[in-house]
Amino acid sequence: MRNTFRGGVHPKDRKDLSRSAPLRSYDATGEMVFPLAQHIGKPAKAVVKKGDRVLVGQCIAQADGFVSAGIYSSCSGVVKAVEKRRVISGTMQECVVIDNDGAYTPVASWDVKTDPATLSREEILDRVKNAGIVGLGGAGFPTHVKLMPKDPDGIRYVIANGAECEPYLTGNDQLMRTEAKTILEGLEITLRLFPHAVGVVAIEKNKPEAIEAMTQAARGMDKVQILPLPTKYPQGGERSLIQVIAGVDFPVSKLPADVGCIVDNVGTMYAIARAVQYQEPLFTHVLTVTGEAVKEPQNLIVRDGTSFRELVEAAGGVKDGVELKKILVGGPMMGMTLGSLDVPVQKTSNGLVLLNRDGSEEAQAQMTACLHCGRCTTVCPQGLMPQMMAEAAEAGDLERYEKKLYGLECVACGSCTYICPAKRPLTQTFKQVKSEIMAKKRAGGK
Amino acid sequence: MNTVLNLSPGPHIRDRWTTRYIMSVVSLALMPTAIVGVLVNGLHALLIILTSVVFAVGTEFLFDKVAHRPDTWKDCSAVVTGLLLALSLSPSVPLYIPALGSIFAILVAKCCFGGLGKNFINPALAGRCFLLLSFGRTMTDFPLDGVSTATPAAALMAGEAVNVTRMFLGTAGGVIGSSVLALMVGGLILWSMDIIHGQICFSVLGGFTLFVALFGGQGFDPRYLVAQICGGGVVMGAFFMATDYTTSPVGKLGQLIYGVIIGVLGGVFRIYGTAADSFSYSIITANLLTPLLETYIIAKPYAYRKAALARQRGEERKPFYQRIPRPVIALVIITLVAGVALSGVYSMTKDTIEEQHRAAAAAAYVAVVPGAESFTTNSDIDSAMEALEGGIYGSDFGRVTINEAMIGLDAGGNVVGYAISVTTADGNDGDITLTLGLNADGVINGIAFTELNETPGMGMRCGDPEFTDQFEGVSVSRFTLLKSGGSITDDTIDAISGATVTSAAVVNAVNAGLDFYESHMKGGSVG
Repeated sequence: MRNTFRGGVHPKDRKDLSRSAPLRSYDATGEMVFPLAQHIGKPAKAVVKKGDRVLVGQCIAQADGFVSAGIYSSCSGVVKAVEKRRVISGTMQECVVIDNDGAYTPVASWDVKTDPATLSREEILDRVKNAGIVGLGGAGFPTHVKLMPKDPDGIRYVIANGAECEPYLTGNDQLMRTEAKTILEGLEITLRLFPHAVGVVAIEKNKPEAIEAMTQAARGMDKVQILPLPTKYPQGGERSLIQVIAGVDFPVSKLPADVGCIVDNVGTMYAIARAVQYQEPLFTHVLTVTGEAVKEPQNLIVRDGTSFRELVEAAGGVKDGVELKKILVGGPMMGMTLGSLDVPVQKTSNGLVLLNRDGSEEAQAQMTACLHCGRCTTVCPQGLMPQMMAEAAEAGDLERYEKKLYGLECVACGSCTYICPAKRPLTQTFKQVKSEIMAKKRAGGK
Repeated sequence: MNTVLNLSPGPHIRDRWTTRYIMSVVSLALMPTAIVGVLVNGLHALLIILTSVVFAVGTEFLFDKVAHRPDTWKDCSAVVTGLLLALSLSPSVPLYIPALGSIFAILVAKCCFGGLGKNFINPALAGRCFLLLSFGRTMTDFPLDGVSTATPAAALMAGEAVNVTRMFLGTAGGVIGSSVLALMVGGLILWSMDIIHGQICFSVLGGFTLFVALFGGQGFDPRYLVAQICGGGVVMGAFFMATDYTTSPVGKLGQLIYGVIIGVLGGVFRIYGTAADSFSYSIITANLLTPLLETYIIAKPYAYRKAALARQRGEERKPFYQRIPRPVIALVIITLVAGVALSGVYSMTKDTIEEQHRAAAAAAYVAVVPGAESFTTNSDIDSAMEALEGGIYGSDFGRVTINEAMIGLDAGGNVVGYAISVTTADGNDGDITLTLGLNADGVINGIAFTELNETPGMGMRCGDPEFTDQFEGVSVSRFTLLKSGGSITDDTIDAISGATVTSAAVVNAVNAGLDFYESHMKGGSVG
């Protein structure tokens, strides 16, 4: 096993801001908004209409097809509307809006524990599917699909991803410290689906308490290994983890399961444990509210559909005397900027970061011509040549970009843009070129 | 909090390093070299450096203004160019030289091709070569302690001895930035900070060293190799010029090839070329090859490399070193061991061989000047030998050189005779070296061969008394060779039958020695 993946960068992790804030639940007070498209695949189909009364944990939208996931209410109240609302991406999307009555009356108690050992493979997968679980690492791929690969016997590693390599975010750190046992139960349940696999919990070394807690909880489990990893971005990328743990590099056209790996975020593992043991659907998850512009950084268990504005207030609001320059959902490397705080939390939202500096704006002011320094090539975790790709893109040579430089292998981790001393917007260019090439391919039939 | 903030794609944080920061660090890394250069060469060197930098930055500033381009002069890259150009100049050049060089470097080589990141050859080297071509004499005038001398690299090319320690410290003459120690300090700092690529600087040094070791004619003699590396801008080229970002490849493999090209070309120019500062040209040549390397040498992403493809299929692929056939490894090891052993034996026995040559010569001197206890020279002989510079002696003796001419003294310090060592290249099978001995009155005592490798039974018979005795006990100024025999007078020599070429060569060598004796030694004494 190699010590670390190739390439990568070392941004300041800034986790001290929120590292020690204990996990606490936050119950929203205002209306709750549930976008129907929170996952990769087909959007869910709403099964409630205006005026319906719903309870906590009640299904309000059903999975539409195999690669899709259901959506469950996180509050009790009356459906106000099913209409287009603004979401994180800045676009208007179909949403279920619920007038929250603040009582949080649950639809079931979820306190009867089933021993997973008594459940068949199909029953486990059913329970995961019926809980609407998606990958909580950020991509939001429906988990039941991930757990049903073509060749379950060929899976060698089930990796619980607790790397949390994005700077600022500490939610998974706190979750591992407080819910180590449940996370490992989730991992063991997953391992039941793959008889030839071993479990690995990957944690970056900047989370010693989490490593300690997980190691304690894993004592006596012979198929589970806790793996501390060097602190380096993008350590938590599934390709980086597989490169280290299974020693395999694979193209973007393949899935981790194709090379014998299943990677799930520790938060997803927690959700799997709750879903399989108690049949509790996914409607809460951990989210870090942090950043230099936040008064009291928090690690919260938030309910889906909560407005981000409420979360800022839950963290004491914007720090006095600090100018808020940027709002991010997710970490600063791959997260998205928010134009407005009046958008709802989705299943995959793992952080709200309020910054007093705008790195992109500063970079734009410092931008020079490309130096050919080769730093981007050194840090690219995929082994690509970003400088040449950018040159080819600028010259409009898409043939060279795709065929000679393998430009479509870019996973948009942002390492090259981060390290570039000339402050070139590399990742942005690659995203654009990728969509351009994909559009051309679709137009051309194949 | 209600205003829409700047929306942008990730990443939203950036590394601290900027273009300006990198260029400033490179400038700082050149400071030790500049300081040593000024300390060694005096204030004029400082003026050269300042002129060069000011004109470099000024040219870029003016170009920005005239061409309405963003203020690129602020990125400090022109400072690096100015510094590099100044450090590669002789400390005696008039100030218009760095000024013109900087203007050419920035305006023509850099700005006209689009500025930073777009130039196709290293601007500093372009400036330097422009100056070399335009002001050849001024550029190659290198004073040391007030006297124009050859640079250490030029001395090396001429096969002369150099002081490696002084070259290392930077006090042996040459350009302003010739302190290898200071250059290495700066270069290694840049390397450890990951600013310059080890793939380039070390492959340049490695390629150059290997080439010089293989083709320099002195094997792996460490003193020779260190002297070659320390001279002629090799270190500055490897650490500061070859590593220029814009004109070197981006990929690791490309960088390695690029570096080796520079090193090998530098070695070729150094050993077979005429100009001592040819490292500039080897870097520029490699600069021109960079676009080609960039086009064709593209590393595949990790997922598409052979090992990864095998692993994706579930196979294990042995690492590279395990896939080399065993006989190949064995052969390489044997070759290496033999090579190292040979060069080791050579350098170990080199001194012994020379000693034996000297001993043989000394023995020959004694043999042809009986009664001599010691041998010495005088000022006439010394100046005559110096004037010869080891070249061909006279015009009618063939390819003859005078190796040494000595006066033999007895125990009391009285002159008892003269010995002259002569080599002719006209032998049938290589060089023939003989010592001619005369007594104090100019009568020939005889000749003794110290090097004779002619054909046995033919040319070799020139060593027989039958032939050599003919030279003994006579006092003549020139012998004549009779090819068909029949010598009756003192000044005629019968050729060895069947070996007239060798005989003629020997007679010519003896005549050359006699001529030297007549002109510079006759009646000479010590004093």
